[in-house]
Amino acid sequence: MRRYIVGATKEIPPGKSKIVNVGNRSIGVYNIKGEYFAIKNVCPHQQAPLCLGEVTGMMLPCRPGEFIYGRDGEIVRCPWHGWEFDIKTGRSVFNPHRVRVRSYEVTVESGGGVGSAGRSESNGSNSRDESSGGSQVGDAQPDSMLEPEDPSVETYEVTVEEEMVVLHL
Amino acid sequence: MSPKPFIVDADVHHVPRSAGELDMYLPEAWRKSPKGGPGHGYVNPVGVMRRDAIPPNGGSPGSDPETLVRQLLDEFDISYGILNSPGFIGVSAMPNPHLAAALASAHNDWMIDKWLSYDRRLLGAIVVGNQNASLAAKEIERLANHPKLVQVIMSGASQEAYGRARYWEIFEAAEHHGLPVAVHPGSEGAGITAAPSAVGYPGSYLEWHTMLPQTFMTHLVSMVCEGVFERFPKLRFVFVEGGFGWLPHLMWRLDKNYKALRSQAPWLKRMPSEYILDHCLLTSQPIEEPEDPKHLMAMLDMIDAKRTLMFSSDYPHWDFDSPMHAFPKLPEELHRRIFGETARELYNLSDLEEAEGGADQEAAQS
Repeated sequence: MRRYIVGATKEIPPGKSKIVNVGNRSIGVYNIKGEYFAIKNVCPHQQAPLCLGEVTGMMLPCRPGEFIYGRDGEIVRCPWHGWEFDIKTGRSVFNPHRVRVRSYEVTVESGGGVGSAGRSESNGSNSRDESSGGSQVGDAQPDSMLEPEDPSVETYEVTVEEEMVVLHL
Repeated sequence: MSPKPFIVDADVHHVPRSAGELDMYLPEAWRKSPKGGPGHGYVNPVGVMRRDAIPPNGGSPGSDPETLVRQLLDEFDISYGILNSPGFIGVSAMPNPHLAAALASAHNDWMIDKWLSYDRRLLGAIVVGNQNASLAAKEIERLANHPKLVQVIMSGASQEAYGRARYWEIFEAAEHHGLPVAVHPGSEGAGITAAPSAVGYPGSYLEWHTMLPQTFMTHLVSMVCEGVFERFPKLRFVFVEGGFGWLPHLMWRLDKNYKALRSQAPWLKRMPSEYILDHCLLTSQPIEEPEDPKHLMAMLDMIDAKRTLMFSSDYPHWDFDSPMHAFPKLPEELHRRIFGETARELYNLSDLEEAEGGADQEAAQS
């Protein structure tokens, strides 16, 4: 499993999302109330860019004549044909067992561990909040690379407090 | 010797010999009223009755039990025929719901006396007016326990589509008593009912009759979407005499729309077509007749005909379908289902046969 840095957590605050390109895959990463989820940006129906669809809630199970709206912010509605998908699982609302979009694991990791590693490369700008696209990182570099090379120079401790959103594919 | 085929004719028609025949079943207050619903004004140039079905002693086709039994049940070896009264279904087009209810009741009592007692193979449908669901439910309550009344019937013609809550009392009563509800065309555009097509009044009987399924389609979409089958999970609904070729299109279109628009029917737990296939049945006459019989077979497959379709002849109407010749050759199991087994299950005919078998034995012993 490879790890890809999507960006800093502050870049995708609750209620926001970001579309990143990983190789030839387009993936939407969503922040739902502080938790991160990722789904493929391709609707299984007719290959529409699913993650450009509205993030919404859904009508919950009820009796005839009732309307109970809920799960606001947890459902994405495809911009073509209006199919609804659960962002947390990738499962469709109308047929969760048979119709689903691929979902991916997302973790939040401290910037100290991953932020200093690798090279960021902007890959397009599809995201909803208009930030830059995702960036691919390689494996974390060995700790020795971060040691100061010249002990004669006065050094100060530096930490990166920022947390990063990491996609696992 | 192969066992006798079990054939149920799900749509047979009977009429009074004269309007006065019902008088004794009507409260005095209504005896001077017309004895049927208002007409729709569309004239069938070939007549609505089979000319060869006129009884030997005269009168309208369908008015003489002896002729009907001989010409239909005996001739085609039909095990059961279900009497759906087309004339009285039309009471739903009358402006006065009380008169409609009185006429429906009178018809039902007359049918029990004159027809159901005439031959054990004749079964009846409880006619109700649809203008006032409470009156209809009362009529269902009054007659539901009669063993030979196997369904409720009302007109396809109505003021609104049948998913509307104003009709739910009818469904509640029918479901409570385990009776399917059937709809039958004939009054579309008559009296107080809605226009017979979505663009108003067609110009001829030819057009009117061809477009009757449009009304059924509207009812079906309405019932599924408004949650009738969620609210009444045991309700079965029968579309009589409206064909079935329109159903695949409707199921596909409704399912497709549901995928996007389900927020307007959030009470549905399954795809609309699943409710349709589980809750609804159709009768076969007037059967669609494509040039290539393979197309009909494909259509039967699309509607899962082995559980949704029941043979009907529409005797003694002009477009009667013969049980011998209406269908192309069917696989044996499908044939058994369409011609009798599905109806046997729907109408609990095994219970009836068992009760009758018991009665026959008792009679033989005494």
